[in-house]
Amino acid sequence: MSQPHDHHEHGHGSRFIQHHYDDAQHQFDAGKLGIWLFLAQEVLFFSALFVAYILYRSHHPEIYAYAHHYLDVKFGAINTAVLIGSSLTAAWAVRCAQLGQRRGLILNLSVTLLCALTFLGIKYVEYSHKIHEGILFGSKFDPCVSSGGSPLVTKKNECHGTKSSVVWDATAGKATEGCLESAKIDLDPKLEGLQTRCTVSELSMTPGPDGKPALVPNGKTFEPCPLAAAHGEHGAAAGGEGGAHGAAPCYVLSFQPAICPAGPAALVKYGDHAVRRDVGIKVECEAAPEPTVGDPFADRTNEPALGSALISERPAPSKHELAEQFAAGPPPPNTNMFFSIYFAMTGLHGIHVLVGVIVFIWLLLRAIRGDFTPDYFGPIDYAALYWHIVDLIWIFLFPLLYLIH
Amino acid sequence: MTDQHHDDHHHGLAHTASLKVLLGTGGSLLFLTLITVLATKVDFGASTNLAIAMLIAVIKATLVVLFFMHLKYDKIFHSVIFVGALLGAVLFVGFALMDSGQYQETVIWDPLHPPAAPIGPKPIP
Repeated sequence: MSQPHDHHEHGHGSRFIQHHYDDAQHQFDAGKLGIWLFLAQEVLFFSALFVAYILYRSHHPEIYAYAHHYLDVKFGAINTAVLIGSSLTAAWAVRCAQLGQRRGLILNLSVTLLCALTFLGIKYVEYSHKIHEGILFGSKFDPCVSSGGSPLVTKKNECHGTKSSVVWDATAGKATEGCLESAKIDLDPKLEGLQTRCTVSELSMTPGPDGKPALVPNGKTFEPCPLAAAHGEHGAAAGGEGGAHGAAPCYVLSFQPAICPAGPAALVKYGDHAVRRDVGIKVECEAAPEPTVGDPFADRTNEPALGSALISERPAPSKHELAEQFAAGPPPPNTNMFFSIYFAMTGLHGIHVLVGVIVFIWLLLRAIRGDFTPDYFGPIDYAALYWHIVDLIWIFLFPLLYLIH
Repeated sequence: MTDQHHDDHHHGLAHTASLKVLLGTGGSLLFLTLITVLATKVDFGASTNLAIAMLIAVIKATLVVLFFMHLKYDKIFHSVIFVGALLGAVLFVGFALMDSGQYQETVIWDPLHPPAAPIGPKPIP
């Protein structure tokens, strides 16, 4: 600042130095102060979403533990690397501009732009997969598979290879048919036998007497799925549902409190990948007989160690097994909130990346035109600072959303 | 690092980062990303895992701010603005967390199992 040199020598300074500034330094410093104020605003702007995330996570850790399995760490990690790479080239572009290296500047801006587009491309793949699978925010959260990969009862009931007994009334926001009241049927999902008292049959779409299509029984009934198959669900999920594929159609009683709050619904697994829009499932369960309770201590004289023998037969599940069982089950209540927060945070961040793409295209065109010189490179520096903040926010989003343990 | 003026020189309007610093920062960031992903695969307990992930994220963010964003060599006033914004965010999160402890867990409860009397709906007479 103490060297008042050459700012009035026209032809020597950049033609982009505006007349209301003393010199190039003055203009550069004013812009830099402006961009830092903007970045401070960005930090506060995003902090509102981080508040939502932190509050919800501190009150409902189970939702985060469940839902993060729906996200693919691979995509998140690649995107982190892509953004870090583009941050490096953005900083490098600033260096090139400062040193008047026009080719280096163009090259670095191009690589930054390509990385930004790659990031958006990967986000597109992730988002379209979630839209396709019903892993969305609010009431749109209706996935066909649990985060551990086992089939779920859904509202839309148009999942590949399965059909449930539930008929969902979207206007009333509740199931009108197909939910069982567990109080009446007294079932334990872990025990075989108690589930066999249900009759699960298929209905076909046929024109009714008044010409309107109606669902009428077609005589096809289903047997309960063998317990071993149900137990091997997570294995089947890991192997691309290979376990269920090709097996005979069978049904399970599936708990999904968000859809049937009072009890389970019947879920028929067809063992293929077809979507069945023209059939319905009907389920009728008899009330289980009152268990006959005899003298509970009748056998105590001859089997003193009966209890311990039963306990030792089934060892306590490990932490990993518990986590797998949790992920194989239905989503805990309000799991949709995770995806509301996920889409708000990654969506707002994605919009910032999109803005970055537009800015870098503009800068690239100007760099090719040769606008930037060692005494005028402010726009490159400011855009790079903005880009670093976008990278910095992703540095936090990646572990918070994808890497939940 | 003030004696490093030969490497990280001021050229014209602002500080110019040396290629060594830029590539070193980029490399460290990629390395720390790898460490974060690997650390998630080891079970230290949920809160320790979260603390490790956040610690690494803070280190990465610091590297970005100091070297990529030149804040280490920049005017102190820019640091004041930025750290001020961060403190504002910390206050925001802190007070929201304190306040949220004063309310019931969820406002959408299962109609079959409403919360206990003091916070549940009033019984219809």
